[in-house]
Amino acid sequence: MPGKDMRFTFFIVTLVAVIGEGAQGAPHVVGYERFHSDKPTVEGGAILFSELGCANCHGGSPVVVPRKGPNLADLSRRVDREWLAAFLREPESGRDGSTMPQMFHGLSDGDISAVLDYLGTFETKKKISPPRHANAERGSAVFHESGCVSCHAPTSDYKGPHGSGADFESDLIVSHPDFKKKTNIDALTVFLSDPSAYRPDGRMPHIRFEGQEASDLAAHLLDEQGSDPREMPRLRKWPKAEAASIEKGKELVQKMNCAACHESPKVGESKMAPLTGSSGGCLSDKPVEGLPFYSLTEGQQESLKLFLSKKESDLDNDITFAAMNCYACHDRDGKGGATPETNPFFVGDEALGDSGRLPPPLTGIGHKLKKSWMESVFRGDEGSRVRPYVKTQMPVYAKHAVELANWLEKLDAKPDAKQMTLHPADIEAGRKMLGIVGGANCITCHEWGEYSLMGIHALDISSLDERLRPEWFRSYLLDPATYRPGTLMPPLWPGGHSTVKDVLGGDTERQIAAIWEFIKDGEGVPEGFPDRAGGAFELKPVDRPIIQRTFFEKAGMKAILVGFPGGINLAFDGDKAQLAQVWRGPFFDAYNTWYTRAAPIEKPLSDEVYNVSVSEKDARFRGYRTDEDGNPTFLSTLGDQEVEESYAVEDGKLIRTIKWSEGRPVPFFHPEGVEHAEKREGDTLTITYSWK
Amino acid sequence: MRVCIYIWAICLFAGTAVSGKDKSYEVFEMMTASSPSDSRSKEWKPGDGISLEVSGMEWMGDGRLAVCVRKGEVWLIDNALSDDREKIDYKLFASGLHEPLGLLKDGNELLVCQRSEVTRLQDNDGDGVADAYLTEADGWNVSGNYHAYAYGPERDGDGNLWVTLNLGMGSLANNSIGWRGWGGIIGKDGRFVPKSLGMRSPSGMGRNKEGDMFYSDQQGTWIPATPIYHLRPGVFYGNQESLGSLKLADAPFQMASIPKPNTPYPEALESSPEFVPPAVWLPYNKMGRSATDIQLIDQNGKFGPFDGQLLVGEFTNAAVSRVFLEVVGGEYQGACFPFLDGFAAAVVRLEFAPDGSLFVGMTNRGWSSLGNRSYGLSRVRFSGKTPFSIKEMKAKPDGFELVFTEEVDPATLESLEMISYTYEYSSRYGGDEMDTKNVAIEGSDISDDGKTVRLKLKGLRRYHVHELHATGVKSKSGSKLGSPFAYYTLNQIPEK
Repeated sequence: MPGKDMRFTFFIVTLVAVIGEGAQGAPHVVGYERFHSDKPTVEGGAILFSELGCANCHGGSPVVVPRKGPNLADLSRRVDREWLAAFLREPESGRDGSTMPQMFHGLSDGDISAVLDYLGTFETKKKISPPRHANAERGSAVFHESGCVSCHAPTSDYKGPHGSGADFESDLIVSHPDFKKKTNIDALTVFLSDPSAYRPDGRMPHIRFEGQEASDLAAHLLDEQGSDPREMPRLRKWPKAEAASIEKGKELVQKMNCAACHESPKVGESKMAPLTGSSGGCLSDKPVEGLPFYSLTEGQQESLKLFLSKKESDLDNDITFAAMNCYACHDRDGKGGATPETNPFFVGDEALGDSGRLPPPLTGIGHKLKKSWMESVFRGDEGSRVRPYVKTQMPVYAKHAVELANWLEKLDAKPDAKQMTLHPADIEAGRKMLGIVGGANCITCHEWGEYSLMGIHALDISSLDERLRPEWFRSYLLDPATYRPGTLMPPLWPGGHSTVKDVLGGDTERQIAAIWEFIKDGEGVPEGFPDRAGGAFELKPVDRPIIQRTFFEKAGMKAILVGFPGGINLAFDGDKAQLAQVWRGPFFDAYNTWYTRAAPIEKPLSDEVYNVSVSEKDARFRGYRTDEDGNPTFLSTLGDQEVEESYAVEDGKLIRTIKWSEGRPVPFFHPEGVEHAEKREGDTLTITYSWK
Repeated sequence: MRVCIYIWAICLFAGTAVSGKDKSYEVFEMMTASSPSDSRSKEWKPGDGISLEVSGMEWMGDGRLAVCVRKGEVWLIDNALSDDREKIDYKLFASGLHEPLGLLKDGNELLVCQRSEVTRLQDNDGDGVADAYLTEADGWNVSGNYHAYAYGPERDGDGNLWVTLNLGMGSLANNSIGWRGWGGIIGKDGRFVPKSLGMRSPSGMGRNKEGDMFYSDQQGTWIPATPIYHLRPGVFYGNQESLGSLKLADAPFQMASIPKPNTPYPEALESSPEFVPPAVWLPYNKMGRSATDIQLIDQNGKFGPFDGQLLVGEFTNAAVSRVFLEVVGGEYQGACFPFLDGFAAAVVRLEFAPDGSLFVGMTNRGWSSLGNRSYGLSRVRFSGKTPFSIKEMKAKPDGFELVFTEEVDPATLESLEMISYTYEYSSRYGGDEMDTKNVAIEGSDISDDGKTVRLKLKGLRRYHVHELHATGVKSKSGSKLGSPFAYYTLNQIPEK
């Protein structure tokens, strides 16, 4: 994938230039870069202390979910040995800005080989086999639309509806290794299907891909052109190791305290190392034997020193949002969220404005959502994705759901928030308020379970009591834009005054509480949903033909449908000025054409259809006339000829009459499978279609 | 944000005062979706009454009002000017149309704009029901996408019939071919003749007294707030989703350069010679959220003292705004004012009746509004009692001139405040005000008749909206302003 990491490379090159030739590039921690790289701050230091794994040896993680290294299981089946050897020698060679410290300075190639031999014994019985099918093109769509590009750079050849990868530049991206060198489609598919199995700290979060999205994505990342994964490159087999080398590797792994960061059964017990000072040691400019070497920038060093000299209680509480990169997608208190660079890649339902494509803000989230719901979202429970129109997916943090929910609840607690006073008897008023018959019209825009109206398809509100705290709901309704900047939701109680005067005497508090009561009650639907399609809106020609224009599968976007009494119907293609389809039985359901906002392309109500093979002719449609019985005559021109085509039904037969003006019969086509008889008189042709 | 909403709320209730308490304007509801047989009722069946989701209105010249509704019908209303609802008679004239969104009388016949064509409706046998639906104009792409609406036709001072074409959005949308996001006129051969591009959702058109056309657009992709543009050939209004049609053979012109996105409007405007600013910005929330129809007040005082100004329908707030325009440096620019609100449903179409009353056509469908009925038709009459208002706001080289409808109490002028801001030009859906600054008011002179106030300001900024706060201003007789806010879009600062 040439070009993918161009911007990042530039960044690293700059850093190398700053810190001097020959040194490893500095670790790149997005949470630090986002707000703290300009000048040293305590918070920046705290983020580094967590994200460089310092807390794993020294204790005291300032982040709710501590940073860990990857699980080392099955390395020999997932990672190329040579790539790994180079990576251990110099992590920067495997991935730009890697936060893995250099551990092997002063050790020989033989030592690294021994460590690899030992790591090669970490095999499990986990199934890592080729996926059945992979499609890099679809994988590109998954990569660029599901939210991966909130953290990673878009591919340079990608062109989306608003954003393009070609000129993408940002300091806030997490680089990739060269996947082709590091791994293959089998392992990458398994990894992407559930990254938390190998990356327990959630820094590479788990997106719930469906079907074969994970293998498509892997094919995209590996830039595989074929579709059969069995024909794609296999990993080179790791050589069989000598027992002595394995034993030596084991000793080294324990001596280097790999277990502090890497949780794997065979990696051994971790040892804590008390902090001895706030300079030198791991913070040194040059590698110190026996200690990790991070090649920190001066700013990073200063930040860490500031952090180490402060008490933890001095910290802003947003460290976790920055460290886990929640800010890549979410705004909280005006911080973070889409950047000018990433904004174009957040896609969704544009009819809902920015709230239809941007993940929701996290301002006051622990006060907004019930703890049980936050746990459900973090666990990725079925039904916990309430904004299906936002293409960016909220990752799953199943292993940390409880601690994250507890933390957010405590963080945002508002014990003084005004509570809602409930009036259980107002349930019916709540139903009216939600509805569109003298209510506040909530369902015009919001979906209600399986019901939706003609409007935009905003968030389903039928079970919001499971998600929201009532006191937040109350505050939000009174002032939506404060709680959700940029929302399309209008203030229905502007200044605290209800726009609905006839329900509960216009009492704002009672109206809001009534809405809550009705939703909580869970019985019934708001007032005003029409009967579902298929009934009340069926057009039934009784005395006269019914003519209706619509978008129609077989007759195009300028279709004119004609239903005759007696169950013979036709569709005329107004673009091509030709008959397109005939059907017998029920005519048409006009529900969508008349009353939905986003009407689909329609089809006949009956299955007894007779298609017409319409081919192009240079005819131009000029409209239609109706006679006194309501039968249509379609008008068109074909070159210099005026053509008139009339339809009527007599005795269960469809009578089609074609007239032309300049003496040359015009081409036309019959509905297939219908018996017909033709009769020509001068410049008029009459065709009778009959059924047995 | 809180401040915005607060101001907005004040506008809302201040506006209500215009149409409510002091009764300068009275609203008469002819029909709204309040009866149990309306289309949203579970019991409603096709044929059980009229679902008057008004999408076009036109007077027939014989006292009848023609109304097209979104369901696909045209109704002729007899005795539409009667105060007795029982005497108002609705007759179905045409049906089976595909979401008509505009109506225009041409000779004695009606033109109606459907999704795929402009259709001429004829009643040849004189039975009061249309029997010919003739294709008057077509030639634009219809992809089947719901958002690809077509609006018009509207006649300019030279007799051209204008049609504007919405961008598609969502599934099936294809804006890269066939004039989506363009406006044009109906050619002699009945083909759409594209004239200008860069529109998003141009749902309303109207001409001023000079015969020049204006159209309203909707906040959304590429459009930060609600704009009113001078509609004319050869210009680009900003929405780049419409650029695809420039590749077509019939493209009337090519753009010398495409404006640079993610730059403030003043800068973006300088980056392309074809790119033009709106004559007036209607700031988001403060003036509502979604402008619709444009209607000239030309009623010789029968609709109050605002002749020559434009009324603009407002969907979300179920309201009507007022726009004053002047020509500065050869281009239109001016100010907008909240005007009427509290309508039964979203205001979509406006049409003056022969007696000088304003007919307001409404439909909530597809979006929602502060009106809690799903549709309706109302009539607004001026009571004769002039509301205390800022009638005009004119740009001067060093400030503005405010013309009030009544004598102003000079002591209250000290309370005037002003801010100015612009927007970012970007592909994003809507955008915040940016670069907001206070504008220092250095002095004010009041004319001998007490109605004209000349403000001297420091720091006028070109291409910025200048927002006047006049909440403390009172008339000599002690009245407060019905709408104490005004928003002037200063595209050019006059030289004299």
